[in-house]
Amino acid sequence: MRRRPGIGGIQKQRLEQEKYKDKGTILQLNYLEQMSQQVEIFRRNLEEFALKHKTEIKKNPQFRRQFQEMCASIGVDPLASGKGFWSVLGIGDFYHELTVQIVEVCLATNYKNGGLISLNELRLRLIKARGKSIQHQEINNDDLLFAAKKLNIFGNGFCIIEISKGEYLVQSIPGELNMDHTAVLQLVSKQNKPYMSVSILREQLQWDTERAKKSLNHMIKEGLAWMDLKNTTENLYWFPSMFNECINSQDN
Amino acid sequence: MTVEIKWPWQYNFPPFFTIQPNLETRKKQLEAWKTLILNYFKQTNQYILDLSDISNLELFNNSSISRSLNRDDVILILDFLTRSENAEAIDKNKNRWYIYWHSLREWAHIIYSWAQKTNRTNSVLTFYEIRSTPNEEFTELNEEILSKALQLLESQEKAEIILLQDTCGVKIF
Repeated sequence: MRRRPGIGGIQKQRLEQEKYKDKGTILQLNYLEQMSQQVEIFRRNLEEFALKHKTEIKKNPQFRRQFQEMCASIGVDPLASGKGFWSVLGIGDFYHELTVQIVEVCLATNYKNGGLISLNELRLRLIKARGKSIQHQEINNDDLLFAAKKLNIFGNGFCIIEISKGEYLVQSIPGELNMDHTAVLQLVSKQNKPYMSVSILREQLQWDTERAKKSLNHMIKEGLAWMDLKNTTENLYWFPSMFNECINSQDN
Repeated sequence: MTVEIKWPWQYNFPPFFTIQPNLETRKKQLEAWKTLILNYFKQTNQYILDLSDISNLELFNNSSISRSLNRDDVILILDFLTRSENAEAIDKNKNRWYIYWHSLREWAHIIYSWAQKTNRTNSVLTFYEIRSTPNEEFTELNEEILSKALQLLESQEKAEIILLQDTCGVKIF
């Protein structure tokens, strides 16, 4: 027969547990201290590194990307730091400038794309508007994403939609797109044709007619899509932001 | 017509040929149609649109994407052009239209400045003389439109229209 645990036993157990806990806390504290020391060293190195390679960071997009990742890993946001060390670097300025230019391009093309633009088109137009020197030209999609994400602070007036791996749309009009709307945009991009229809949605996403219609009509209502009633088989919903001739048109 | 028209991207965008239900989008669409129609008439040196012809006009029919505008669509667009003084229905049934790629006011101003610049004021000019002046924007200008523009100048007391034996003349002050 098993002995039942007595009061003494329970107390002993509790005491041991408390001891372990104390020891654990001490260990944790030590660890934390070590960690923060390491992070501090890393941060200092990063600052030195940034200062030393300031021009390189501004010029070289790959370098810039790696630098961003390093910053992110220790929670330094070179954009948020308007004062102090990081502002001396001018790296924040680089992104602030990009952010302003992104807004400019979005506003300038709004009349034709309804406020939806692919990141690629955005980049091409932005590069064209910037100076001709190499430093101004070497802007890649990572830079744009990094800068554009800052625009989230303006609420839902600005957002980035990933439509497939590495393919993004930037939406610059207020009005939120739900999962269904995003799914429609993703499908349009995937099929490589700039339109969508109820039957395509039924077939590809197994949606019922009501759901498909609701989503497509929302796109019309938001000015992101144009209605085509003159197709012979069914109504089509066209997206100027994905229509090549519109993307490439130079008239403003 | 051998003039090469530079079609805007919208012309190849199929829904451009459906009047848009969203009013914001429709505004953009009508503006684009306006620019296109005025350019087209200017480049082909035409002044009058007859709606019985629209099915033959490349302007309203893009065969490469099988899209075209019907009569109601065209009238809706022309009503929009009327609001900016760029079109005017000639008859009550809206079958024939003046297309003003310069508004009458602009035409009046152009002719008036030309007369001032070239010292043609205070002498009688026949309508024919004005229309056959080479290399001016109003060269070959439709006679009815010329007459309307000159009447506008007359109402501003900048000109006086004179009926000659078999034609009309004008004295610009």
